[in-house]
Order: sequence, then C-alpha cells, then structure tokens
Amino acid sequence: MSTIDKFPVRQETAAVEAGGKRSNPLAHVFDELVNFCRSRSMFMLHYCTGCGAIELPPAMTSRFDMERLGIQPMVSPRQADILLITGYVSIKTLKRVILTYEQMPAPKYVIGICSCTVNGGMYWQSYATAKVLREYMPVDVYIAGCMPRPEAVISGLRKLMGDIKSGRADSWKKYFQNYDYYLGNQQKLFGENWQTPTDIVAEARHYELITDQTRGEHTALLEKHQRPLEALEMRLTSKEKQTT
Amino acid sequence: MSKELNIWLDNLLEDIESVQFKRKSSRRVRIDVASEALPALLELLQGHASYVHLSAISCVDWIDNDEFELVYHVWSYETRSLVSAHTRIPRDPGVYLSIYDLYQPAAFFERDIHEMFGVYFEGSPDMEKFILTEWDGPPPMRKEFDSEAFVNQTFSWEQYRPQWLKEIEEEGGGITSRPEDARR
Repeated sequence: MSTIDKFPVRQETAAVEAGGKRSNPLAHVFDELVNFCRSRSMFMLHYCTGCGAIELPPAMTSRFDMERLGIQPMVSPRQADILLITGYVSIKTLKRVILTYEQMPAPKYVIGICSCTVNGGMYWQSYATAKVLREYMPVDVYIAGCMPRPEAVISGLRKLMGDIKSGRADSWKKYFQNYDYYLGNQQKLFGENWQTPTDIVAEARHYELITDQTRGEHTALLEKHQRPLEALEMRLTSKEKQTT
Repeated sequence: MSKELNIWLDNLLEDIESVQFKRKSSRRVRIDVASEALPALLELLQGHASYVHLSAISCVDWIDNDEFELVYHVWSYETRSLVSAHTRIPRDPGVYLSIYDLYQPAAFFERDIHEMFGVYFEGSPDMEKFILTEWDGPPPMRKEFDSEAFVNQTFSWEQYRPQWLKEIEEEGGGITSRPEDARR
C-alpha cells in the first residue's frame, strides 16, 4: 500500500478529500482497478481447525466451483490473501492461527466460518476453546451456521469480494492500528510471556499505519521481554564434517 | 476351543467370591473387582485366557462417593469378546498401580488419565503432560472443576444484538433460537 501512496494520482484524491475541487475525473481509477483485480484473484489459506472444513471440498471442487470466482487454495501463509478459520479454535490452536495470520503479507483478510468462531458455538462451556475470534485478530466476514452449507460459504466469499472491490474490507489495517488491544487479549489468554516472531510495530511503521492505539501498556510489556528474531544458520555441510 | 475358553472363564469367575461377574452378551463381560485384585485378574486374563489387547482405560469421577472408577477394557482375538474390568479407588490421594508391565499401551492411557483426572499411576513410565501442554490449571475432567465458571471468568462474550447482526436480519437471516431458551 505504501507504494501506491506514492503515486501522484493519490495526492490529488487527498486534495479532494480535504475539500479541494476535483480536477481529475480519473483520480480513483487506479485504486479501483487494483481493488477489482485484488478481489478477483484470491489465494485462500484454509486453517482447518474444526468441523467446518468438511464443507470446503464441495465448495472448492466442481459442484460449487470456487475457482470461477478466482479463489484458489494456497499452501503457505506467505502467498495467501484470505485466512479461513473453519471452526472452533482451541487456545493451543489460536497461538498457531495468530502466528499464521501475522506471517501473511498485507492486504490480508480473515473469514470466520461456523458459529464457534463467533461465540464459541457448541463449545461455549469448554475450558479449552477460545470464544470470540474477533478479539484476537480482526475478522472481515463471519459465515455463521453449524455448519454453513457451501452455498453460504460462496455467498460469504462473494460478500468479501464486494467489500474488497468497494474498498471497505480493510480490517488488516485495524490489526496494525489497534495492535495494543489485540495483543492485550492475546496476553490475557496466553500469559505475559507471549511473543510472536513477527514484529508488528515495525510492520505498522512500514505500512505507515501507526496510531495512538498501536502502542500501549501491552506492547510495553512485550518489549520488556521481547527477544529479537535470530536468523536461521544456513550451511551446506553438516556441523560434524566442518569441525573435522 | 474359543467357546470352551469362555465357558471355563465364566465358571471360574463366578466361583470367586470377591469378583462380581456379569455376562452382558456373548461378546461382553462386566467384572467388578476390588482394586487390590485387579492386576492379578488382568494377569489371569492376559496370560491364560487370551485377552491380549488393551482397548482402553477409562476413568469416571464419582464425586459423591469420593471415588474414581477405573475401567479396563481388554479384548480377546480368540474368543472375540470384550471384558470390562471395573474397579474403584479412593479419590484422595488418587494413586493406583500402573499395569504397564502387563500391557505396554497402558502408558498412553494412564498418562491421559493422569492429565485429565489427576490420578497418579505408580510404575508408569511417563506421567508428564500429554495433550494439555499449555494448561496449568487443575485437571479439567474432575467434577469439582467448574468449566462454566472458568469460561465466564476467562473469556468475554459476543454481544447478542451487534450491528452486523442487525444488518443480517435486514437481509432475512439471524438467530432463530436463543441460547438462553435452549439452556432452560
């Protein structure tokens, strides 16, 4: 996004927003084109946590055919645009979900499928499941149901596509803007020593999304014990061979 | 051979006084036995009656009687029948003998029961944490652990009339039955 900001057309739209007269009728065209293209080619990382994953194969394959919307499954978070959480997240799983989410490059979108991601669903009484996914990461679209049919999944994805096209789906920005809130909820659940390998504050600075809410008491607590990420050591021969 | 073995076992177990024996069907037997006698019974079943497969060990918390009930399910491939040996141990201190030397898969079940109920098995090879590696509360399957109170204390809940739900209701969707009604 920061590269797009540097285009001259963007500056003109800023002048329009500030109350100036619109001089260029094509000012938004580039943004709209980017949003359109983005909404039509989405790679989906499905983190199959619960039972909802069973509805994805029919939604993906020939019967309902997600690919006609440009949505394809993707194997790694680094190349994915959408993160699908397909059911209940236990506290142990939630840690991995957050790691996965933070590894995805922005812009990224989260879809919570099934009632469990909304409010715990049928596991509302369970000591081991996190209840409200929205508290730990921003969610763009919820597809409620136990479980939602593939039609509902497709309809939810179409809603997300519409939101991306119109520029309303910007929840990934909220994670950077309100990082302190999300980190606070994570620390409440995982303990004070919770740390992910991703430096979110530095990323927020990179995306120019730092607000008053990005840093706060919880990030201060994180900085107190945060260990810098060490690069993995890479070598071609094994260690024993090198020493001999 | 296999039929004779069953008849022989039935006759033997019916004769032992401290053992309550109940044949539920041709393939299921329930035995209630005192906790001191259970390892000997399992040794008899495994060594002389072909019950070589330990299917599971399950645990029931009878908090009103202050007892844990341990159920050992053993299966015989020869007679094709399942014996469930029930025994009860006092809840406090909740320590029992491991049957790892008889059935090695028992280590797996005993570790699980130790984690979920806090029953300690003497002689089991590993009593470390198993599935709940990131849990440091009390054993969660014990009856005195109030899961609902823990959940209400730890987690917060989604509002039931949020803005996005109103938007869904405008489109014709929404909640048809509320959780309060279902819990009644």
